[in-house]
Amino acid sequence: MSVEHDPGERSLLAHVLLPVASEDDALATARALAPYDPDGVTVMHVVEKGEGVPDKTPVEQSEATAAAAYDAVREVFPEAEDHTAYRRDVVEAIFEAAEEIDASAIAFQTRGGNRLIQFLSGDTTLKLVSQADRPVITLPKDPGET
Amino acid sequence: MSEADQELARDLGFLEAYTIGLGTMIGAGIFVLPSIAAKAAGPASMISFALGGVVSLLAALSLSELATGMPKAGGSYYYVNRALGPFFGSIVGWGMWAGLTFASAFYMLGFGQYLLPLLTPHVDFLASMSGLGKTVAALVMAALLTGVNYYGVKETGSLQNVIVITLVGLILGFLTLGLLSGPSIGEFNPEGWPAVAATVGTVYVTFIGFEVIATSAEEIKNPSRNLPLAMIASVVTPTILYVGVMFVSTGTIPLDVLAASEVPVKLAAEEILPGFASAIPFVSVPSSLLAAIGGTVMILGAVLATVSSANASILSAARVNFAMGRDEILIDWLNEVHDRFRTPYRAISVTGILTLVLIGIGVGVGTLAEVASFMYLVTYALVHVAVVVLRRANPDSYEPTFRIPSVLYPVVPILGGLACVGVLIQMSTRMVPYTLAVGGLSVTSPFQLTVVGGIGIVLVAFGVAWYYLYARDRAPSETLVGEAIAPAPATAADGDGTYRVVVPLANPASERDLLRLAAASARTHEDSEIVAINVIEVPDQTSLAQDLTFEEERVERQQELLEAARDIAADLDVGLRTRAIVGREAGSVVLDMIAEEDADQVVVGWAGPRGRREHVLGSTVDPIVSRASCDVTLVKRGERAGGDVLVLAGEGPYAPVAARRGTEYAAATDGTVTVCNVQPPGDGEESTATERGEELVEAVIEQAGIDDPDETRVVVDEDVKETLLSIAGEYETICVGATRSSALAQAMFGSLPERVAAETDRTVAVARGPEESPLSIGEAIARRLES
Repeated sequence: MSVEHDPGERSLLAHVLLPVASEDDALATARALAPYDPDGVTVMHVVEKGEGVPDKTPVEQSEATAAAAYDAVREVFPEAEDHTAYRRDVVEAIFEAAEEIDASAIAFQTRGGNRLIQFLSGDTTLKLVSQADRPVITLPKDPGET
Repeated sequence: MSEADQELARDLGFLEAYTIGLGTMIGAGIFVLPSIAAKAAGPASMISFALGGVVSLLAALSLSELATGMPKAGGSYYYVNRALGPFFGSIVGWGMWAGLTFASAFYMLGFGQYLLPLLTPHVDFLASMSGLGKTVAALVMAALLTGVNYYGVKETGSLQNVIVITLVGLILGFLTLGLLSGPSIGEFNPEGWPAVAATVGTVYVTFIGFEVIATSAEEIKNPSRNLPLAMIASVVTPTILYVGVMFVSTGTIPLDVLAASEVPVKLAAEEILPGFASAIPFVSVPSSLLAAIGGTVMILGAVLATVSSANASILSAARVNFAMGRDEILIDWLNEVHDRFRTPYRAISVTGILTLVLIGIGVGVGTLAEVASFMYLVTYALVHVAVVVLRRANPDSYEPTFRIPSVLYPVVPILGGLACVGVLIQMSTRMVPYTLAVGGLSVTSPFQLTVVGGIGIVLVAFGVAWYYLYARDRAPSETLVGEAIAPAPATAADGDGTYRVVVPLANPASERDLLRLAAASARTHEDSEIVAINVIEVPDQTSLAQDLTFEEERVERQQELLEAARDIAADLDVGLRTRAIVGREAGSVVLDMIAEEDADQVVVGWAGPRGRREHVLGSTVDPIVSRASCDVTLVKRGERAGGDVLVLAGEGPYAPVAARRGTEYAAATDGTVTVCNVQPPGDGEESTATERGEELVEAVIEQAGIDDPDETRVVVDEDVKETLLSIAGEYETICVGATRSSALAQAMFGSLPERVAAETDRTVAVARGPEESPLSIGEAIARRLES
C-alpha cells in the first residue's frame, strides 16, 4: 500500500474502506460512492462468527455471500481490493480492517429498519459512527434523487 | 478462500466443541426419556442407554474420520452424498432434516412437560388444561427459538458453557444424592431382552447431538485432535450420566409411577432430597420444602437442557439444507441469506414451522423421539458404509487427519453399521404375526410394522422419490462406490498411457478453438481422449432473488455447451467425454478433475489480461496455471487457431514445450512452423547477436524433440518488442513458453515475448510443462498465500 501517511495532506477519499453485507447491498453502496470518485477502494465483508458457539450461517455460505458482494462492487470499481474478516463483533472487525489497510475513511450506507430490528441486529450504525478513530461517511440512500 | 482464511474461520477449541456436543446431548432425553424407557424395558433400560452409547461411539469414530477428511458444512449428509452419490444423499439429507425436526419437536414437548408443573401451582387456569398447556408452552418456545435463530441473536459461548456445566453439576448432584439414598432395584428385566433392544431405538434420540460437532467441523481449531476428542468425550460423558440417572430413577420410584410420569427426574429428586433433611446441620428444614426445592431445581435444569438441544437442532437443520442446496439436491431458494441478519432465514423458518406443526398435530412425545432416532440410525448406517467406500476409493481430496486406528478399522464401520441396522429392525417390527386379507387372498407376515417403522419407511421413501422426481436430473451424479469396489484396475487404467487432455469450457464462442487445439495435441498420441468439462459455480447462485429460473437457465446452458462440444468432437473425429460439474470454485474443481482424470494436458481459454468477468475461468485461471500437475496451455483466442504457427524461442524453461505445441497445431491444420528469436544488438558485433539467437533456436528444437521446423528466423533489432509484434502479425498462431512456474497467471507475462503475446490479436498459446517437484507446488501455494 503506497498511501502517504500524512493526515494533514491526505484526501478523505484516498483509500475508502467499504464494508458491505450482501450482493445487493454491495452494489447499492458502491453506486452511492461512485459519483464521488474515490482514489482507492477496499471492499470488506465480515463473516460473523460465534466465537464459542456454532455460527448461525455456515462459514462456506458466508464466504459465498462475500465473494458475490466483492464481484458486485467490482462492477463499479474494477480495481477494488477485497478483505474478509472473521469476527463475532462486526464493528470491531471493520475498525481493525481500517487500521490494517490504513483507510482514509469508512463509507457505508445505513440500512434503516425500525427500532426493534435495529435493536436485534445490535445497531451497528450507531457503534460505527460513535466509536471510529477515522472519518466515517454515510452514503445517501439513492444517489439518483437529490 | 485461501488456507489462511480458513484458519481465521476456526474459532472453536476443544472445550467449546465439547460443550456444544454435550449441550445438545444432555437435552430433553435425560429428563423425559426415563419414564418412557422404564415403561418399555424396566430397570434394564439402563442397558439400552449403554448400548445406545456404544452404537454412538462407533458412529463417532467413523464420523470423526470423515469430518477431518472433508470439513464441510452439512455433516453426515455431505459425506454420504460424496461417497455414495445423490441417491443416498437424498435419503440422508431428507432423513437428517426430518430427524432434526422431529427431535426439535420432541425437545420442545419435553420443555412443555417440565415447565407446566413449575407454573401450575401459581397460575390456576393452567392446572385445568395441562394437556393443552404443555403444547402451548412447547409451541411458544419453539417459535421463540426459531426467532432467535432467524434474527441471528448471538448467544455467547460462555453462556453455553455455563448452561452445560450447570446441567452436568445438577445431574452429578442428583446421582450422588440418589446413590447415597440407597436405591433398590426390583425386577431388573421384566420385559425381556428384545424390549431392551427396541428401547435402544427409543433412547437413541439423546445421542444424535454429537452430529452437531461434525456439522461445525469447518469451525473447529486443530480439528485432527479436537474433533475426534470432542466427539468421543461428548458421547461417553452423557452415556455414563444416562445410565446413572436410569439406575437412580428406577431404584427410587416404583416402576408404574415412574412410567406414568411426564416429569420423572423431578419426581425422583422430590423422593431423594427429603431423606437428607436430617443431614443438614444447624437448621431444621421441613422435608416437604426440600422436596419442592429438589423438584424445582430439576425442572429448571430440564428447561435449560431442552432449550439448548432444540436450538442446536434448528441450526444443524439449516446446515443440512445449505449443503443439500449446494449439491442441487434441494432448491437453493431455501438458502438465501438474509440481507440484514445474515442468517439462512428461510431454511430456519421452514424447520421452525415444521417443528410447530409436529407439536401442534399432537404426535406423541415417544413417537417423536423414535422417528428422530430412526432417521439418525439410517444416517449412521450409511456413514459407516461411506467410510469404507472412501477408504477404498481413496480420492485425492480425501485426506483425513484423523483415521480410525488400524486395529479397529474394518471392525468399527462393519460393527457400527450392523448395530444401526439391528436396532432399526428391532424398533420397526413387532414379532406378532400379521395377516393381510384382500378378498379371498390372505398373506401372513411373521411380524408387524410399528408406527415408527411405518413413518420412518415413508420418510425414506420420500427421499427416494425426491431423488427420482427432482434431484436426479440436477445433482451431479458422482459416486465413489465403483472405485471403491475396484480401485486397483481403475488406477491402472489411468496409467495405461492414454493421453488425456482436459478442456474446461464456458464460452460457446471459444469452444471450437479450444477443442481444436486440444484435438491437435491428442492426435499425436495413439491412444488419446479429450475430457470436456463445464463447472457451474455455486457462490453466484446463492445470492440472486430470482435464482430458481436463473438456475435452470444455467443448467440448460451447461447442457447446450457440452452438447456442442460433442458435435465439434464428432467433426474433428476425436474421442471426447463430457463432464457437467457443480462446484464452489471452478479453479479448484478443474484441479480436482485434472488429478482425477490423470490428465496429461489442460487447455484453458483466457480472455486476455483485462477480461476478468466474461471468461470461463476469470480468476479461476490462476490456481490452474499455478498448481496443475500436467502440461498447461493457456489459449488467448485470435482469428484462427492453428494454421501457420510462430514459436517464440526464448530462454525460459518451457520454450521447448511451446515448440512441441506449435508443431502439433501446425500438423493438425496443415500449417507451417516457424521458430523465431529476436535479439538486441548488444555491445558486440551484430554477428555475435545472431549467433546467440541461432544457438537458442537450435537448443529449443533439440530439447523439444521435434522435426526440423519449416523455417527458423533470427532477427537482430534494437526494439525487440516492436519487432516481435510485427513478426507475430505475419502468422496465425503464436506459441510461447511460460517463463517460470509462477504462482500467478499475470506473472506468466513477465518476459518480453510473453508481453508481446498478450498484445497481439493473433491466437496465442502460452505453454508450460508439468509442475514436477512437490517442492515447487509448495512454493506456489506459499507464494499464493503471500500475495
